[in-house]
Formats: sequence, C-alpha cells, structure tokens
Amino acid sequence: MNTVAKFLKTPYRAGAIRLSIGTLLVLVVASVILLPEFLAPENLSNLLAQSTVLVISALGQTFVILTGGLDVSVGSIISVTTTIMTLDMPEVVRVMLCIAVAIAFGLANGYGVARLNVHPIIMTLATMGIGQGLALIILPIPGGKVPEWLSASVAGSVGPVPNSLLWLIAAAFVAAWLLYRRPFGLYLFASGGNDFNARMNGVPVERTVIKAYILSALFACAAGMFLAGRLASGDPKGGATFGIESVTAAALGGVHLAGGIGSILGTVAGAAILGIVNNVMNLANVSAFLQSVVKGLLLLALVVSQRRKTIGL
Amino acid sequence: MTTTDAKIETPSRTLTARRVFSWVLGLPPAYYVLAILIAVAPAVSATLINPNYWFVILKQSAPLGIAVLAQSLVMRVRSIDLSVSGVFAFSIYLASSGLLNSYSPFVTALMPIVIGLGVGLINGALVAYVRASAVIATLSVSAILIGIVQFMSSGRAPGSTPSWLRVLTSGNIYGLSYSVIVWIGISVVVALAFRFLILGRYFRAVGDNPRAAEITGIPLARTIFVSHTFAGTLTGIAALVQVSALAVGTIKPGFDTFMNALAATILGGVTFGVDRGGVAGPFVAVVAFSFLFAMLTVFGIQEPGKLIVQGGIIALAAIIYGARVGRV
Repeated sequence: MNTVAKFLKTPYRAGAIRLSIGTLLVLVVASVILLPEFLAPENLSNLLAQSTVLVISALGQTFVILTGGLDVSVGSIISVTTTIMTLDMPEVVRVMLCIAVAIAFGLANGYGVARLNVHPIIMTLATMGIGQGLALIILPIPGGKVPEWLSASVAGSVGPVPNSLLWLIAAAFVAAWLLYRRPFGLYLFASGGNDFNARMNGVPVERTVIKAYILSALFACAAGMFLAGRLASGDPKGGATFGIESVTAAALGGVHLAGGIGSILGTVAGAAILGIVNNVMNLANVSAFLQSVVKGLLLLALVVSQRRKTIGL
Repeated sequence: MTTTDAKIETPSRTLTARRVFSWVLGLPPAYYVLAILIAVAPAVSATLINPNYWFVILKQSAPLGIAVLAQSLVMRVRSIDLSVSGVFAFSIYLASSGLLNSYSPFVTALMPIVIGLGVGLINGALVAYVRASAVIATLSVSAILIGIVQFMSSGRAPGSTPSWLRVLTSGNIYGLSYSVIVWIGISVVVALAFRFLILGRYFRAVGDNPRAAEITGIPLARTIFVSHTFAGTLTGIAALVQVSALAVGTIKPGFDTFMNALAATILGGVTFGVDRGGVAGPFVAVVAFSFLFAMLTVFGIQEPGKLIVQGGIIALAAIIYGARVGRV
C-alpha cells in the first residue's frame, strides 16, 4: 500500500509516468483478454527479444533527452556495433573496439553539443551519417558471423528466465543506478531543467552533457551487441530505425523532449508499449502495412494526452 | 584640404572594410562550403564548371530546395516538421497509381498541395493548440501517411507518373527548368513576406524568445500554427515538383529527404529560433549539397564514402560556424 501511495506521489520531474504505465497495463490486460496466445511462453520470449534492443537504446536516449538534447546517431552506432562484431579478429578485441567506437561517437557528439555549441540534432545527424558510412564500409551487405558466446548469451535462458530479460533488467538497473543513485543523475535533471540555474549552483553542465552522450552511445553499443547476438550476424542497416524509435519510446514514457523531466521506468514502459503494440498486431494478423498507421495513431493519442506547458520541439 | 579629406576617409574606409569582413565572417557555413567546392571544381572535372551542368544540378535540387524552405519556416519559430517523407510518399503514390486518372489534370496537379496544406493544418493544430511535441506529432503524422500508402499499394511500386506533369521539370526557359523557376519564385515571395509583412516580424519575435513574444501580445500559438500550415503547403509544392521529376512512382521516397532538408536548413544559417541565413542561406545550402554529391560521384565515391563525407562536412561547418557566432 505504501509503495502504491509512493507511486501515486511521483515527483513532477518523473513526467507523465502514471499515464504511460496505465496505458501499458490497459494494453497488457486487453491483449490477455482478447488474444489468449499473448501469454504463451514462446510469444513472451519473442516479445522480449524483439523489444530489448529498443529498450536498451531508449534508456541511453533518455540521458540525452533529459539534458534537453536528442541523439539520432543511436541507430548508426547499433549498426556499426553489429558489423564490428563480425570482423575477423580476436573476440576480446572486437568487443573493445565496439566500446571504443561508441565512446568516440559519444564524445564527439557531447563535445560538439556542449563545448562547440552545435545543435544536438545537427551534431548527431552528422555522426549518424559517418556511422552509417562506416558500417557499410565494414560490412557492405548483411552477413558475417558473430562469436558464439554472444548468440548464446542472447538466445539462452537461466532457468525459466530468458537471457533477453536479463539483458533488459541489467540495462535498466545500470540506468536507474546512474540516474537515481549518483550525483550525475541529479546534475542531468538540473542541467536539462534550467542550465543557467544549474551552472549558478555549481553543476558542471558541460561535463554532464558530454557524459550523457557517451552513455547514450554505450547503451546503443550494448543494444547493437544484443542485436548482433540475436541475428547471429551483422547488419549495416540493422539499427537504422532505432534512432527515431528510441526517441519515440522515451517520449511515450513521459520523457519531455525539452529536457529535465523523465524517468527510467517511464522509458521502459514507453518501449514496452511500442513492443507490445507490434506484437499484438502480429498476433491479430493485422496487415504489416497497417501497423505503421496504428502505431502512428497510438502515438498521436498518447502525445495529445500529454499536454505540455511549452510549444514546439 | 586634400590632407584633411584623406584623414576623414581613412577611418571610414577601415570601418567599411571591417563591416564587410564581419559580414563575410557571419555568413552561414553553406556559403563557405559552396565557395570551396566551386574553387576546386575546375581541378576535379571540366564538366563541373559547365553552365549546363549547373542547370541540371539546380533542377535536381528543386524539390529539396522547396522542402528546405518549408522546414526553415517552422524552425524559425522553434518547431520542426518531420512529416516531409509522409507528404512525399502520399503525393507520389496518388499521382502515379492511376487513382486520379478519371479526374482532370488540374486535380492531379493540385492534389499534392492540398495534401500538404491538410498535413500542415493538422501539424499546426497539434503543435500549437494541443501543445504536442513537434518531433513526435509530425513523425506520427508521417508514419500514418506512409502506412496508408503501403496499405493501399500492398507494398508494390505504383505505375508511372503522368507524362504531362513531367514538363514541370523537363520544360525550361533559356535552360532554366520550370521547377527551378518555381523554387526561386517561392523563395522570393517568402523573402519579401519576411521583409515587409507583420507575419515576418512575428516569426522573428517568436523565434528569438517565445515567452517574451507572448507577453508583448504576439499570438504565439497562432504564429506557430500559421508557420506549420505554410510549411505543409510548401512541402506539398515540393512533392509536386518531385512527382514531376520522377518517371516511375515509388512508395519509399526516402528517409534521407527530411534529414537532408534538416541539414541544409541548418547549414543555411536557420536553426531553432535563429535566423541568420534568411531565405538565401538555405537556398545556397541546397545547391552546395547537390554540388557536393555530384563531385563525390565524379571521384567515384560510393554511398558509404558519401555518407561519411556528408557527415564530416555538416559537423565541421556547424562547428566552425558555432565557434564564430554562438549556438548553431
């Protein structure tokens, strides 16, 4: 009861988290009632595997959006990671290279936005192009082979718990720890809420923004590794849609694109809503072509219900 | 007497030189990119400096150029329109699927503009009055339009575009395509509107500081609504020009359409709330982009290389410009 009361008193900075979770619950209940196969173990496992890449990338995106920025290069970093994991070199080196590339992209984005005054969209748009080009140079067409341990870590399970759920929980735990248990989290909310006030109160705004972009890239790298493991191969355009979808998932989770308002739970709920909508439409045999329309309408309905004080982005 | 005059003229000349220097330094990055490309063009290929080739470049740039003009309208008031791909997809499908064959050519020609206007009205209402996030709202509208097109076409490519419509791109006056003339004409009208109409001042005030603009009595929501409506209509015109440039329709006009539009707008000196480039800046940026792609093709650089060079130039130009004038 105490937990419920606490949840109902969600702080303002968590955004419209109650609406997102409420929507998710209604969606789950409706799916269970209308589609009995929704709860089938195979379907749930499939749903988890399909949603994990989006959840992980959206969690990283949340850090950037909380600063008032936007990272559209997430998709390219996912693609580059899947291609690097197919390179013909020792497996440890591949992993280290993926992390190094992600940090380099994050650093470039963060430095460009925080220190060089470039708008987040234009900076990450530029690195998105560079990343996409890099992925196509490394692996022009989908294929290659990723390490077996990576595929096993994605496809297997620990007892009844699928590994994809473990990936998801680990990512959400790290993100929540950074946001709620480290000063960095507080700095993020402060910088995104009002960067001038934050600076006046001693918050290292520029450093916080740079760290947010590096974290976003690292989460994208993790999402790319998961995708590579799931596909058991690389795909130079495999992450292309996640740049925008991760923003959409975060926004559905009540993260304000103007910055300073949002939550980890909300982002997970937002990504889950998108994943479940996709899954339910597949189960209901809705035409793949109509799914885009339904998703668009759902997104509009949710965005319309989250009336903001500001007008614009 | 002569000595005195010389003494008076010297500071004046210095001041003018400084002003010119400062003006040149304040130009958006697109001008520098285009100047560098033109400077190196003769060394790359003689074709690149052929006037006829420039007419072709301008012709190819026309749809993007008009779309950029639309994007710059909403970015001036700190909003964004990501529904460009949706409007293009819907217009191209309707024009090439044969659904409008029983109507007069006038209806086919008017259709993309009506679609653009409708989308602009919806976007404007959502962003300005419902206060939905412009990124999500316009993206959703685009997803709905693309979904409808894919459903109607069952994922198959539609037929060919009306041959009579192609005259908009293939027809010319002294080598200058009609589509380019339309692009230049619209640019001039928008520039004049910004210069002489009260609406231009409203746009600038809202872009500078929306809160201050609202307090001083400027209708904030209405200004943003109008900017989206105009942007939608211009995107419709861009779609019409795009239809006229295609022989065969497609249901995938490309995600990069709006990405290129966004990049060109910002390189042209128009960012969220900042309007240093006017109407000419984005125009130059579009030409620079097309010329850059043409030059990369001459070098034999394939898609991956083009993406890297394009990204590098966007980043570099934005960084240099940001260092000089503040936020880009």
